[in-house]
Amino acid sequence: MPMGREKFDSEMALLHNDLTKMGNLATQMLSKSVEAFKRLDMGLVGWVDSKKNELAELDHAIEKRALEMITLYQPMASDMRMLGTALKLNTYLYRIGRYGKDIARDAAALQGQSHISKVVMIPHMMDLVVGMVNDALKAFETGDLSGLKDLAERDDEVDQLWESVFRECLTYMMEDQRKITPSLHYIMVARNLERVGDQACKMAEKIHYMVTGEHVEIK
Amino acid sequence: MSADTTAKGLPPHAASGSGVVWDGIVGNPALEVRDVNVHYGPNHAIQHVSLDVAETAVTAFIGPSGCGKSTLLRTFNRMNDEIVGCRTDGSIRWKGIDILSREVDPVPLRRKVGMVFQKPNPFPKSIFDNIAYGLRIGGMRDRNELERRVTESIKDAALWDEVKDRLGDSAMSLSGGQQQRLCIARTLAIEPDIILMDEPCSALDPIATGKIEDLIFELKRDYTVVIVTHNMQQAARVSDFTGFFYLGKLIEFGKTDVIFENPRHELTERYITGRFG
Repeated sequence: MPMGREKFDSEMALLHNDLTKMGNLATQMLSKSVEAFKRLDMGLVGWVDSKKNELAELDHAIEKRALEMITLYQPMASDMRMLGTALKLNTYLYRIGRYGKDIARDAAALQGQSHISKVVMIPHMMDLVVGMVNDALKAFETGDLSGLKDLAERDDEVDQLWESVFRECLTYMMEDQRKITPSLHYIMVARNLERVGDQACKMAEKIHYMVTGEHVEIK
Repeated sequence: MSADTTAKGLPPHAASGSGVVWDGIVGNPALEVRDVNVHYGPNHAIQHVSLDVAETAVTAFIGPSGCGKSTLLRTFNRMNDEIVGCRTDGSIRWKGIDILSREVDPVPLRRKVGMVFQKPNPFPKSIFDNIAYGLRIGGMRDRNELERRVTESIKDAALWDEVKDRLGDSAMSLSGGQQQRLCIARTLAIEPDIILMDEPCSALDPIATGKIEDLIFELKRDYTVVIVTHNMQQAARVSDFTGFFYLGKLIEFGKTDVIFENPRHELTERYITGRFG
């Protein structure tokens, strides 16, 4: 990219800005959907559902900007790695936002009912995976990988929580068949949060490549 | 970057203090360049450069203006001999011979190490005679053999379909891109081992550039190609190995995909991302 360095840098800053917005929106959709599920709050369900178009628009805008930058500047080395990473992060974040929407749908399915058990592990899983996504986004912004060192261990914890939720729900379902439907929704929500942990690890792998040029497998 | 890491994989010559990042090439080298220096009077234009040019592959030299990449290219067929005040030392081994040695006659060397220049330079003769010129100088008199070699060379240079019905026309009537392919055909006619290309597309439009790049891709099946280019995307597209030069020094040399995806020297990174140059 022999020309237009300053313009490229300013467009890269705009792309970072859009990705930060995308990250905030995706994690908000996720956390509010879990809150909606916990409280069976249909107002919050509606809020999450109302954000799906904004998520899709940001996804398109980021992809368009990144592809235009590749076309116009033909970036190389760290610039190319950064744009490639931005495109991948965009996809992961879109997926995370959509998991939020799916969880909100599980909450809506339980409308008018009460929980069969206190919802404790699912909010804890949400805190963990949102923390992982935020740390990945911070590393993307700063290029500092130190916050990603324990990501695999954190994801192990998320996996263990998912297995706990699954086992607990199995016991409910075996005890009382009327609990099968709500239990399946718990399992679906926990499964989606477990997938967010995996997406955070994939984000971290791409950011590691962006910073060092070396591919690593975190999980 | 420490001397230990930068010297990884270097032959003894280069490892002895050049500090260049070089992983070495895969396969047999067509040219072994060792500790080459070129002076233009007091100007030390090429400083202790060592590298291998891979056989039947494309090697690209990139770097900002004045970095010495064209000067190094011209040492490969002793074109610098024509420049008053130019001195070259070190060694460049080709088929076991040091081509920088005074015993080596540069004229037959240039038949085996051909060159294509920045601006197409056809002779003011017919298309056929442009190609046949070098063959006739080399003593070829058999008309049939001459026609066969001219035809083959034009075909190999991907020009045949465009000129087959007008081989007697002046070469000057061809477009810039066609003239450049004619010059490549002229080089191929005398059956070189190595083809040097000094900014071969810089005077051409994008369509003609694309044709030359396709041609380079075809040529590397049979020839060793070394190309100097200012166009980094072109280097990334056509070459297998890339050397980055700065102020007369080879800074980094290695596989093209590594150089353009994850260069290990800060200067290379800064140059190819447009932060200087």
